Order: sequence, then C-alpha cells, then structure tokens
Amino acid sequence: MTGPASRIRAWDLPTRIFHWALATLVVCSFTTGTIGGEWMAWHLRSGYAILTLVVYRLAWGLVGSDTARFARFLRGPRSVARYVRLTFAGRHPPGAGHNPLGGWMVAAMLAALAFQAATGLFSDDEIATQGPLAVKVSNALVSRMSHLHDLGRWIVAGLAVLHVAAIAVYRWAWGVRLAGTMVTGWMDVPAGTPQPRMRSAAWAAIFLAVAAAAVYALVEIYPMR
Amino acid sequence: MKNVALAVLALAATALPVVAQQIKPETQIHLRQSTMALIGYNFGNLAAMAQDKKPFNKEEAQRNADILPMLAALPKPFFGEGTETGGNTKAKPEIWKNLPDFTSKLEKMQQDVGKLPEIVRSGDMAAFKKQVADTAKACKSCHDDYRAK
Repeated sequence: MTGPASRIRAWDLPTRIFHWALATLVVCSFTTGTIGGEWMAWHLRSGYAILTLVVYRLAWGLVGSDTARFARFLRGPRSVARYVRLTFAGRHPPGAGHNPLGGWMVAAMLAALAFQAATGLFSDDEIATQGPLAVKVSNALVSRMSHLHDLGRWIVAGLAVLHVAAIAVYRWAWGVRLAGTMVTGWMDVPAGTPQPRMRSAAWAAIFLAVAAAAVYALVEIYPMR
Repeated sequence: MKNVALAVLALAATALPVVAQQIKPETQIHLRQSTMALIGYNFGNLAAMAQDKKPFNKEEAQRNADILPMLAALPKPFFGEGTETGGNTKAKPEIWKNLPDFTSKLEKMQQDVGKLPEIVRSGDMAAFKKQVADTAKACKSCHDDYRAK
C-alpha cells in the first residue's frame, strides 16, 4: 500500500450527525429500557427517534451522497472475501467510504434497529408501559412482540460491541483510523481516487423531516383513531 | 376503608395459605394470573394518569389506588407446591429455588402499592408520580428475575 496522497470528503455532514446521534440514542434506549420505571417515557421517545433516523437513512441510502448509498457499499461475496483476505494479511486496501465488510455491518445494524423499533411499537411490559400500536393487535401478538423486543436488545448490543471492537482492531492492528474519519469526514486515499459525489444537506433535512412526520403519525395519530 | 383493607389483608395472610394447599395447582395458577391481571389493570390506569397519557381523575384514581393493596395481598399463596409448571404459567422455576428473595420482592411491591391510597387522597401529584414510578420498578425487579417473557 502506498502512502496517502490525497484527501477526500468521505462522509457528508448529515451522515456524520446521523451516526453519532444514532450511537447516542442506542445507548439511551438500552439504558432506559433496562432501568425501567419513570425512564420508560424516555425509552419510547428514544425509540421513536431511532425509528425516524432509520427511515431517513433508508432514503439517504437510495438517493443520498455516493458513500451513503446501499448500491455502492453493499458488495458481493467475492469482494468481501478479497477484502478480508487482504486486510487480515495486513494490506488493507484503501477505498472511499465503507469497506466491503463494514458495509454489511451497516446493513446489519440498521436491520437490527428496525427490528427493535418495529417490535417495540407492539410491545407491552405488563407493568405501566405499552408501545403505541399494542392496542391495535391481539394480545397473543403483543406477547410475541414483547418477547422478541426483549431478546432483540442483545442483538443490537452484540453488534454495537462488535462494531467498536472492529474499530479498535483497525486502529491498533492495521493502523486504519475510522472513528476520526466519522468526526471530520475527511479520509486519506491514494492519489487518483475520485471525490465521491456529495448531495446537499438540505435534502437530508427534508428527508429527516418527512421521516419524523411519518413516525409521528404512526405513533401519535394513528393509535388514537 | 383502611379498616376494610386491613381486614382483607389479615384474612389473606392467615386464611389463604391454608386454603391454597387444598386448591389444585391448575386453579392456583389461574387465581394468581387473575389477581395479577387485576393488579395490572388498576395499576396501569394509575400509571396512565401519572404519565399524563390520560387526564387525572381523582375519583377514579382513588378507586384504583384503594383496591391495589387488597389485590396485592392475594397472589402470594397461589405459588404453592406443584404450580411450577402447568397451564400457561410464565412463572420461572427460579421462584421456588429462591423463595426468600421472591417473597421479599413481592412484599416490596405490596409495601409500594400500600402507599398509593394515602398519596392519591392527598392530591400531591409529584408524590403520586414518584410513587407510581417506584412501584413500577418493584414490579419490574421481580418480573425481570421471575417471570418468563
């Protein structure tokens, strides 16, 4: 691998804000759900915020900046295998955006969070807290959803631990700094790597507003009807 | 009201364990689930008011709060021998392995709901909200350990 010869903007501002907001909310959701009691009101709010971010991210993954697009970072098994081989041999192939392994981690975490948010909507802790859609379905389904929601948190926690552990391994075993890139957005790449196309943050704000409105309608308006 | 509550508590504490021994396990499971469902209904209504999910109605809250200590005294004797499995019980076998801990958690819940009638009567909303939250925690600490999902 040749030394870094140029700097590109790998992550747009919306993606960086999304990332750190989501990380904060996941910790918040896990903690409030585990403590319970008066914190459950915040557990629900945090869950709605996560659902909003996940819905927004799906839109940004389809029509957002190049490096945020699923079609760009979800690679086939051969790309992943080649990437893993090179990386574990200490020859991390540089690239702008998510690497082939990290791309699937993004997909896994988004799927796990969508699952948690969806099951949470239908959950009932049978103490003092119900998801907003629990009134809309049978108690048998509520019971199953609550069970899945209770188990799903360990999937989210497991993926989060794996995510942080992988960043540590990249940093200290392979000398690749990932966390800093997610703060500044800048990434060092070999000369000639094209700057990915970045989409205006205004579009992200619009998608986020639409996602928030949709989630609000789902959890506040629809259950009352 | 208080005297009635005490009388029911005394009755529950003395008479029911003896009765429970004669009640077959399937019926005990049915009885404890029924009392839990009623506790859940009455406490759930208070929680909804405490969390501003519905407007606070003092008369209604007082009814819920007054009956809770009586209901809370009921389920304990229905965790008798032979009720570890059967029906659709969600009770975990750990209950009978840690009976003193289970009992102390159940008693914590009884103490917490025992404070609700007076607090609702006083009309102190801050104290009401806090007591509802504390009671919910007592429910949760026992459910986390002893109730399957």
